[in-house]
Amino acid sequence: MTRTRIAAALAAILAFAPLAQADDAGLRSEVAELRAQLQALQREIATLRQERAPVTPASAASAAAVPAPATAEDRANRDSGTQLTGYAELNYNRPTAKAAAAQADLRRAVLGFTHRVDDTTRIVGEFEWEHAIVSADDKGEAAVEQLLIEHEIHPSLGLRAGLMLMPLGLLNERHEPPTYYGVERNFVETAIIPSTWREGGVALYGTTAAGFSWSAGLTTGFDLGKWDATSDEGRESPLGSIHQEMQLAKARDPSLFVAGNWQGIPGLTLGGGVFTGKLAQGMEKYPAADARLVLAEAHARWQSGPFDVQALYAHGHISDTEALNLTLLGNPTPVPESFWGGYVQGAWKVWERDDSSLAPFLRYEAFNTAAAYAPAPIGLAPDTAPAEHVWTIGANYWLNPNIVFKADYQHFDVDDTKNRFDLGMGYMF
Amino acid sequence: MRARWLLPLGTVPALHAAYAAQYLSIEDAQRAAFPEAVSFATLAPPTSAVQAWAAGESSGAAPVRAPKVWEARSADGVLGWLLVDRVIGKTELITYAVALDRAGRILALDVLEYRETHGSEIRLPAWRRQFIGRDAAHPPVFGSDVRNISGATLSCRHVTEGVQRLLRFQQAVLAGAAHG
Repeated sequence: MTRTRIAAALAAILAFAPLAQADDAGLRSEVAELRAQLQALQREIATLRQERAPVTPASAASAAAVPAPATAEDRANRDSGTQLTGYAELNYNRPTAKAAAAQADLRRAVLGFTHRVDDTTRIVGEFEWEHAIVSADDKGEAAVEQLLIEHEIHPSLGLRAGLMLMPLGLLNERHEPPTYYGVERNFVETAIIPSTWREGGVALYGTTAAGFSWSAGLTTGFDLGKWDATSDEGRESPLGSIHQEMQLAKARDPSLFVAGNWQGIPGLTLGGGVFTGKLAQGMEKYPAADARLVLAEAHARWQSGPFDVQALYAHGHISDTEALNLTLLGNPTPVPESFWGGYVQGAWKVWERDDSSLAPFLRYEAFNTAAAYAPAPIGLAPDTAPAEHVWTIGANYWLNPNIVFKADYQHFDVDDTKNRFDLGMGYMF
Repeated sequence: MRARWLLPLGTVPALHAAYAAQYLSIEDAQRAAFPEAVSFATLAPPTSAVQAWAAGESSGAAPVRAPKVWEARSADGVLGWLLVDRVIGKTELITYAVALDRAGRILALDVLEYRETHGSEIRLPAWRRQFIGRDAAHPPVFGSDVRNISGATLSCRHVTEGVQRLLRFQQAVLAGAAHG
């Protein structure tokens, strides 16, 4: 079949050959004409090239062909892809009514790293020592504060997996001392929203061009089995006393969180978040088998010129604790049904030179860690706690944005034996 | 089924796709800032002018590096420049581009690459718009002209400082070159 086709083609060429010979002279003149045209074009191109000599077209290749002088910091970035990070806070508290209780504490020393695996994936870790020394005879604590993998799926969508900070409130995700006012973290974001609060799980996060950033995840949660009705820990911070911090965390019941911030107007942040999960973790014959936590918060911050104003309100609710609290009768700290707190804070940068600045601030907080209990038989209802109101007045002095020295005075409206004077220093890098 | 809640996790690998951390290429930034340009030429400014500028910028600690510069041209001549530079946010480098017109006024600020775990909100158009129209005589001042984004303070501060540096670069190095 193929042979037949080749033979037919050859026959056709032979048949037309005389015709081609006859046209030879015409073709020669046409080729000469084309050659002349080509030479003219070549001359034209040469002229154009000369005119545009300094101009090279923009392209990815030309961008890459201009190496920028690399500084030491650039080289470090390129070579290892690993950054060492850290922060610390050293505090001094002196109760005004009881000077003997004055205390100086290396509250936290934290070292961390960010390792960029590639352009879209990084590993983040943060390791913490609290109270300077950790041993069997000391009160210090060593902990993993964060350990996660972050992967960018799309420039405006990412995935986080591991032990991560919960994005509720203004403080928890950004808790380094130079980022907040006052020696101690505020009461609402330690007693109502725990701090530094982390859970293990997975989360998606993203941003939109309109200024909305969000995150949502499925994580471990709290363990009501850890509630100690004999201690006052649950009165100081209901959730702080039953957090698990991914230490052999009971994980029968996952928790969910959704949080978001809108920052579409520069200087303004409006946000909020909700965290919910069951607390019994499947414990058998547990009197609060269906207990569920719902913690919700809303916050706002306005920074303009020298002014920095922020407000936050948080409310927690634990359901199904009636039967549990009956088993805890006679103990000082039953499980609350609701707890809440809020604050407003204003700061004013009065002085600034180069990287240094000084900002006095005033904060008013109201919070109640045991605002209500589940209904109990008459005569057995636990007493609710009064709401505490705290005024904090002080100043932050930043030697540079990463190093801060602080001083403040805190006045407690209800329990004024807690009134105190605080000094602190902190850094981050 | 007890582990029903695990089901959504199955969708995660399906979302995976390979994207670069680069939000905008230099070429995109050039075209967006100078839509009428017919060419963009890499520019190597006179070494002596760059050195004089760098000497003025250096605070002694870290060496100052000159930005990469592209000159945008139309048929009528130079339209302006696109300057690409890097600053450190909190711990990682941020690559950003500033487009300047011939008079040295900012036409656009773009974040090309952002690598920090938090603070990528500086990519928000509303935040970047605060820089438009500023020049070396009226540089953007962090805190007053350029408002902060809570949670991205260091990135906001350092990009603002970087833009100030580029405006001084324009005045010291490029201003005299805009004759074409």
